[in-house]
Amino acid sequence: MLMIRSIALYLDRTYVKQTPNVRSLWDMGLQLFRKHLSLAPEVDHKTVTGLLRMIESERLGEAVDRTLINHLLQMFTALGIYSGSFEKPFLECTSEFYAAEGTKYMQQYDVPDYLKHVETRLHEEHERCLLYLGDLTRKPLIATVERQLLERHIHAILDKGFMMLMDGHRIEDLQRMYSLFSRVNSLEPLRQAVSSYIRRTGQGIVMDEEKDKDMVPSLLEFKASLDSIWEESFSKNEGFCNHIRDAFEHLINIRQNQPAELIAKFLDEKLRAGNKGTSEEELEGTLDKVLVLFRFIQGKDVFEAFYKKDLAKRLLLGKSASIDAEKSMISKLKTECGSQFTNKLEGMFKDIELSKEINESFKQSSQARTKLPSGIEMSVHVLTTGYWPTYPPMVVRLPHELNVYQDIFKEFYLSKYSGRRLMWQNSLGHCVLKADFTKGKKELAVSLFQTVVLMLFNDAEKLSFQDIKDSTAIEDKELRRTLQSLACGKVRVLQKLPKGREVEDDDSFVFNEGFSAPLYRIKVNAIQMKETVEENTSTTERVFQDRQYQVDAAIVRIMKTRKVLSHTLLITELFQQLKFPIKPADLKKRIESLIDREYLERDKNNPQIYNYLA
Amino acid sequence: MERIDNLFHSYANTSLGMIDPEGIETLCSDMEVDHTDVRILMLAWKMKAEKQGYFTLEEWRRGMKALRADTVSKLRKALPELEKEVKRPSNFEDFYSYSFCYCLTEEKQKSIDIESICQLLDLVLGSHFRAQVDYFIEYLKIQSDYKVINMDQWMGFFRFCNEISFPDFSNYNPDLAWPLILDNFVEWMQSKQT
Repeated sequence: MLMIRSIALYLDRTYVKQTPNVRSLWDMGLQLFRKHLSLAPEVDHKTVTGLLRMIESERLGEAVDRTLINHLLQMFTALGIYSGSFEKPFLECTSEFYAAEGTKYMQQYDVPDYLKHVETRLHEEHERCLLYLGDLTRKPLIATVERQLLERHIHAILDKGFMMLMDGHRIEDLQRMYSLFSRVNSLEPLRQAVSSYIRRTGQGIVMDEEKDKDMVPSLLEFKASLDSIWEESFSKNEGFCNHIRDAFEHLINIRQNQPAELIAKFLDEKLRAGNKGTSEEELEGTLDKVLVLFRFIQGKDVFEAFYKKDLAKRLLLGKSASIDAEKSMISKLKTECGSQFTNKLEGMFKDIELSKEINESFKQSSQARTKLPSGIEMSVHVLTTGYWPTYPPMVVRLPHELNVYQDIFKEFYLSKYSGRRLMWQNSLGHCVLKADFTKGKKELAVSLFQTVVLMLFNDAEKLSFQDIKDSTAIEDKELRRTLQSLACGKVRVLQKLPKGREVEDDDSFVFNEGFSAPLYRIKVNAIQMKETVEENTSTTERVFQDRQYQVDAAIVRIMKTRKVLSHTLLITELFQQLKFPIKPADLKKRIESLIDREYLERDKNNPQIYNYLA
Repeated sequence: MERIDNLFHSYANTSLGMIDPEGIETLCSDMEVDHTDVRILMLAWKMKAEKQGYFTLEEWRRGMKALRADTVSKLRKALPELEKEVKRPSNFEDFYSYSFCYCLTEEKQKSIDIESICQLLDLVLGSHFRAQVDYFIEYLKIQSDYKVINMDQWMGFFRFCNEISFPDFSNYNPDLAWPLILDNFVEWMQSKQT
């Protein structure tokens, strides 16, 4: 045809162009060809099936004559029958092919391989469009492939392989999944899967009471892994971020209070002295990470209570790893929860600093220089009652020297700050004692209770439990603990007769003359740092007590402004105001208690409504 | 009037100027009614008696006049009528709440111990809501959260009997302002039923 046109080029250029209603030779040729082709539908049909078969075999991996296909399809296009005769059957055929393949491969392959396969297929089809299919076909073609290979299998893919990928932290495969899913707008199911995965895995971490000790590190690790997956696989998609956050918040709060307590304790461990091997920066990093967990916690009051208790011990017993780290933690908490939250914690630091000054000036004072018994040095922490945790007062009969010392200090302090009341917290005191053992002199770092007990052995060789109890007046349980630490622990400066782990009523104790240890200075006061069961329960109880007051106060506050309010609305408002998790039944209890105490009454005509009684 | 007063004095404890528990017991035996009978409680309600076991002259007059009785036999005959009156819905709630207050014997007492409450429930509400009362008494006796019942809970149970379909509790909603003890009761019943 090209030849005909070339021969009759002149004709074409001059005559045809100038005469309307006459087609150019080329067009004419095409029209004729089309006419004859349509007269012979089997040719048309055969060509199309032939083409389809060739493409299919290429899909199955065989080499085909691409140029031929290309030429044939160009012909179709030129004839204007491409979309009618070829494209439609082609797309149908593609759809069938991939539907079958999708189902088959889903069964045979595991998910990562399947996804890889999908990716290759998409790539191939894309190539195919570039090589011989029309540009216009690309969109419907790719859409067909996506639909057949992906959309139909989204849930199967997620069910089958998602957990595995997450567990295996397979960033690349997850990224592939993400990008494929985003092609077919199926990120929502993926998001759901992420969030249910987090919930399930997290539940394992949080609910297992036996693993309480590792809960916080495991959570940190889990969070870090999630974050890296989010960054690298999910291209920091915001929707995912929200889902992850929600799911995390949910899981950390499925067990009430415990996680908050454990986070506080984890921090205590990190901030406590003796944590060698971690640099300041590392510590900072850990603090920041823990703070992320803290953000999710609903029961922040539980955290505060335990954190405060532990902080108090670190400060008073001088066990803090670094005051800078402590302060940076406080300032972090401050930015997180506002100054009200950290007010008391900061107060504690202030007390400690002030105490240093007081001690300095006490040493310079005339009272100290003239009246103090020699041979002892004492430093005092003066604590403001409201800031610190409350400690149950513990009675102990102090040795005379210490009593004198206390009195002089008191006199000095009150002369400086009149109108204040000093109370000695015996359970928090700690001392360094010099002891002569036959195998050498030692310095013992001990608690005040331990001191009092040990000093008894200055004048006696052997004492019974009852003797010690009578002369120290320490409370029974505490005394047993103290004696145990001195006679049954690692460092045995006393010997218990008869031997045994528990301290019994008729045991007696002897000074361990032959005590030896490689170090000169020995710490025996670890028992002070340790949290006792009673301490733990009392801290928790106090938190709950506080919550009760807060609920009462909130109810009264709301009712005072509203005067009359229905039960449902009151409950809704309470949930908005209260910052800790609480059950509706507990709220009901508080409401009823307020009715009992005549702050509220139930409306006479409508029992669903409460009236505020001024 | 005079005869009413005379009747009063025949039962009254002269030093107190009131009919005391002993006098009430004599009155009961004269009327041939047991002193734990709910009708005695109804009589007290009619008189608006304030203190359990005692009738003052004023209360006595108020009650007897309303019942148009000036002899024991007339009083006895008035009792069935009184019972009907109490059971009228408009009066019954008042009677029900009165019975709670009547049992508050101490100054500033606001609640009644479980055991007395069970007896009182049985007496006052037993004939109306047999099944509810029986189950509730059973629950009260085995639970350990509450040692006493206050007025709010007492009235709550009355509403509960009147409003809630029993025993399927289909219209019970613990998110409403029902006293917690009823939430627990329903929960207990439901766990028993399954």
